[in-house]
Amino acid sequence: MEFDDKVPIYYQIKTYLYHEMIIGQLAPGDKLPAVRQLAVDLTVNVNTVQRALGEMITEGIIESKRGKGNFVTMDEQRITHLKEQLVMEQLERVYEQLHALNLTDEEIIASLKRYIAQRGQQHD
Amino acid sequence: MTNVLAMEQVSYKRNLKTILQGVDLTLATGKIVGLLGENGAGKTTLMRLITGSAKGQGSIAVCGDTAMAQHKRHVSFTEQLRGFSANTKVERVVNFYRTVYPDFDGQRFEELVTFLQIDTTLKLSALSKGMKEKVIIALTLARQTQLYLLDEPFSGIDSMSRKKIISSILKWKPTDATMVISDHYVSEIAPILDEVVIVKDQAIYAHKLSDEIREDYGIGIEAYYESLYEGGVSHD
Repeated sequence: MEFDDKVPIYYQIKTYLYHEMIIGQLAPGDKLPAVRQLAVDLTVNVNTVQRALGEMITEGIIESKRGKGNFVTMDEQRITHLKEQLVMEQLERVYEQLHALNLTDEEIIASLKRYIAQRGQQHD
Repeated sequence: MTNVLAMEQVSYKRNLKTILQGVDLTLATGKIVGLLGENGAGKTTLMRLITGSAKGQGSIAVCGDTAMAQHKRHVSFTEQLRGFSANTKVERVVNFYRTVYPDFDGQRFEELVTFLQIDTTLKLSALSKGMKEKVIIALTLARQTQLYLLDEPFSGIDSMSRKKIISSILKWKPTDATMVISDHYVSEIAPILDEVVIVKDQAIYAHKLSDEIREDYGIGIEAYYESLYEGGVSHD
């Protein structure tokens, strides 16, 4: 995995794991790889992985079972909520940039629709 | 959290020239620390002071032990295999390590040899730059100590060797041991560093957590490191 050196690594590890959960690569109830294995797979420090997992445990996205390891939460609502949250974060970025170009809300919606239609044609 | 290293007001001169002056440095256990600085900044000297191969002024405690003679026991440092002639086969060097260091773990060494694909029947003179570094890493990590020092393990080696070496560090560094990796080019190892120590102007110029640099300044480790040098230039 390639990291952006300007963004805290623990944050990028969280983003990566969230992504795996949302696309179902890590399903609810799945066991996460051991901390050291994750560190080797992602080429990051064990302590950084631990920090990322620690925050995700606090958020309730993963559960730590003593002596057994870390598991993706069985609470599918949390995953749905997480997906919603990430989608909103991405949209916020786009919205703010388009707003900065003096586009109105209606114009933003219209350009988004045009863009999606164009993309659709390209893929046909 | 306990400290694996505590240096207080350490100074070192060579031929009347000051290499390091008033160095204070404390490292906690279980970290991977990048030791950064230009060539000749004193990174290798700092490592040699820690192991006790170089004698300076001031106090250095390794695992709370201030007696210099004890330092080599707590620290694993393979200094460029300088003590061995070019004709020596790798396996002879391994035997030497086995004899001299009671903490040398043969099992771990074999695992590292397999992982790094080292041919121990080769003579030191027959090793490529990358392979020589791999041998050094295997010897260093095969010892069970609290402090590991790697002196510019990535200088002049190919990217595949670099990746293998980084993986072996992540796999074999004991959780409670600290590893110091010196380099003058940081971006290749930035993601694995807990903290960075920058040697400049004969002292520890900065000592920061890697993710704190990214969070506080919104820049990468390499950019931060370079900014210290650029800042230095503009003040002159």
